[in-house]
Amino acid sequence: MTRKSLIAAGLAVVVVSATACGGGGGTAGAPTGSDRPVTVAIAVEPVSLDPCDTQDATNAIVVRGNVTESLTRIDPENGTVVGLLAESWEQKDPTTWVFTLKSGVTFQDGAPFDATAAATSITRLLDPELNCQNLDQFPQTMTLTAVDATTLQVTTPEPDPILPLRISYADISSPNTPADSKTSSPIGTGPFSFVSSSQGQSIQLKRNDSYWGDAPEATAVTYLFRAEPSVRAGMARTGEASIASAIAVQDATDDDRTREYNDNRVFFLRTQTDRAPFDDIRVRQAVAYAIDKNTIVQALMERSGTPTDQIITSTVNGFVPGYTAPVFDPAKAKSLIAEAAADGVAVTTEFDLVTRPDLFPGADEVIQAIVQNLQQVGLNVKIVSLDTDAWLQLLRAPFPPDQRPTIVAISHDNVSGDASFTFPKYMASDGTNSTIRSPEIDDLLARADVAGGEERAALYQQANAFEQQEVAAMIPIASQSKLMMLAEGIEYQPNSLSGVELRIADVHFTTDN
Amino acid sequence: MLPFLRRRVLSSVVTVLGVLVIVFFLARLTGSPASLYLPEGASQERYDQFNRQYGFDQPLWVQFLTFLKGAVQLDFGESIWQQRPALQAAVAAMGPTLELSAVALGLSIVVAVVLGSIAATHRFRAADRLITLSSLTTASIPDFWFALVGVLIFAVNLRMLPTSGDATASAWILPVLTLMLSPVGVLTQVVRGAMIESLTSGYVQNARARGFAPARLTYRHALRNAALPIISVAGDKAAGMVNGAIIVGTVFAFPGIGTLIVGAVLNRDFAVIQASVFVVGIAVVLLNIVVDLIYAIADPRVRIS
Repeated sequence: MTRKSLIAAGLAVVVVSATACGGGGGTAGAPTGSDRPVTVAIAVEPVSLDPCDTQDATNAIVVRGNVTESLTRIDPENGTVVGLLAESWEQKDPTTWVFTLKSGVTFQDGAPFDATAAATSITRLLDPELNCQNLDQFPQTMTLTAVDATTLQVTTPEPDPILPLRISYADISSPNTPADSKTSSPIGTGPFSFVSSSQGQSIQLKRNDSYWGDAPEATAVTYLFRAEPSVRAGMARTGEASIASAIAVQDATDDDRTREYNDNRVFFLRTQTDRAPFDDIRVRQAVAYAIDKNTIVQALMERSGTPTDQIITSTVNGFVPGYTAPVFDPAKAKSLIAEAAADGVAVTTEFDLVTRPDLFPGADEVIQAIVQNLQQVGLNVKIVSLDTDAWLQLLRAPFPPDQRPTIVAISHDNVSGDASFTFPKYMASDGTNSTIRSPEIDDLLARADVAGGEERAALYQQANAFEQQEVAAMIPIASQSKLMMLAEGIEYQPNSLSGVELRIADVHFTTDN
Repeated sequence: MLPFLRRRVLSSVVTVLGVLVIVFFLARLTGSPASLYLPEGASQERYDQFNRQYGFDQPLWVQFLTFLKGAVQLDFGESIWQQRPALQAAVAAMGPTLELSAVALGLSIVVAVVLGSIAATHRFRAADRLITLSSLTTASIPDFWFALVGVLIFAVNLRMLPTSGDATASAWILPVLTLMLSPVGVLTQVVRGAMIESLTSGYVQNARARGFAPARLTYRHALRNAALPIISVAGDKAAGMVNGAIIVGTVFAFPGIGTLIVGAVLNRDFAVIQASVFVVGIAVVLLNIVVDLIYAIADPRVRIS
């Protein structure tokens, strides 16, 4: 026994002394006073820090709104476009927009921000050779002209009623940014400037003391990459991190340190309308009636989703207020299937419910519950779980000609507030992810595409309603939300854009240390 | 010795090349990087442009030949993900992994020798039973589970250690303990078995009869004789540390080859996957040669030729 106790004591000494020499966890030595650095634990290291790659959320989370800013931005509360580096804008004629820019703004490298700098930066992003992620937000070529220091004129070959919204995807970088290659040290006009990045370990930003707007409280930011959600949550609990992004439901706490936010993401199913049994609308409607989404979402997506009736959230202009999708009614589903069968539809054809493990946390259980619902009404369904690439091949047109009938499980977000970032893709006959061939929808979408304001919203709402009532190719299940955890003494109110734009300037300290 | 080394190096080159070929094709089975790097709704032109830029538009055999040609010249191409030479990324990440593995393995051997010897000298008594039970338990605990529970207990609840990273010396404790788990469990049992055999052998009995002190008997005479199986299993475990490093990398964000490989797989960065496998392969091959050499030094009866 003595020997064992000795070993135990020895081990304890080793552990304790190592802890002492390491200075303990990250909480030790935190400066007092309200201004101090923050640490953010994120799941994945950004693939690119170039301001033209912020379309991807993992890249945007560090750069956008912190290092770089755009001429306009989306108001996270209502989805409208508001000015950021632009004071105002107006449409001179259908293909010409004029932006009046803020004066007195400088980039973090001292270069002045003016219309020439904005034009250079946006033109750089539009260069196809640079392969910028954000290029996809600009389907038309644009000609940018600096009329004077604060006036930028943008012309397009065809009218683009949502150009000010598209411009919000163009993060403006310093004219000293290389034009023909990507940069890993972004320079913008934002409240923080890039300091350094250590691949695989961290990214450092520091407060930009010459920032044109209100000075943020945080003096510096360190981003740490931690793949394991429970480790991220643990870091916020111990104070090693000020903010732990995208934590798992099981790590959420009931105190006020867990923040839930809706990130405009919707989980829905898409049927393959050109294959039996989904070539008959009654079978597609039966799928909607068969799924008990309220029970499934409440039981299996607690804190991560709420049942929804549309494939977009209410901040998007194509959302139809007050619309209710088919409510769970297995008897109705069975009778629709029987009716279709009587007309010769091959309702017993086996089909695949195609999902991927990383669709969202806990997706496997949700999909299993949905399959059970479908089987209960007599549909012959099998789960197929694929990796992202194989899943994308079944999501995107052209579909393989010998493909089995499928329902594809999709989690899609639209943070832009405009349905053009969702509907053409999923509903138009030539949409990359669409199985719908409807002249009525094509017409509505084409008209909406060139319309502005109220008219645009009305046309998108009509397309949405038509799809739901007359086509029923897509079955909305849940509007998804995310969780983040804050350390003690940190205040941050997440909004619908927090998943792609975590503005450190919005982080406040509630205690002195 | 020299012919042995030459033969080993030659067969190792063949092994590493074979592994590289397998990894080349396996990596490409995971799908096209374009679908990961381009947004969901990107146009076909964007896909074509991306594939052209990184050479994925070439037939597979052309890509393979380009890869082989590069590999021979130690050029594994540029990382799409990290935008630097893939080999540079792999070599930089291997350093911390080797350091961590060396610390974990060294400590594992020390702990295993002490515990195994205690068990062997107290055969079938309480101490032996306790050590055997706990070593079998640690050998069968999944690394991943231990790592997460370790974080929960020592970092979140007790606040003794940081959850992750490598910024402080204390950040090494949980990763090292996690990596030690399986080697300590297995090695303790190996030490126990070898020591029991050695302690019951004729020359130790003889030494005991001549009045040698029990400690000297155990640690000088018996242990030296029991060293061979310990070296052999420890060598095996050292190679396995790379697997452990992947767990440690993922959970504790330790900046080693494990983190790099996981990141490269997630980012479909074929160049980094290939370069990392090459670097790990070389490390394992070198390690095996070193173990063989130590083996020969420890036991002159083993002839390397």
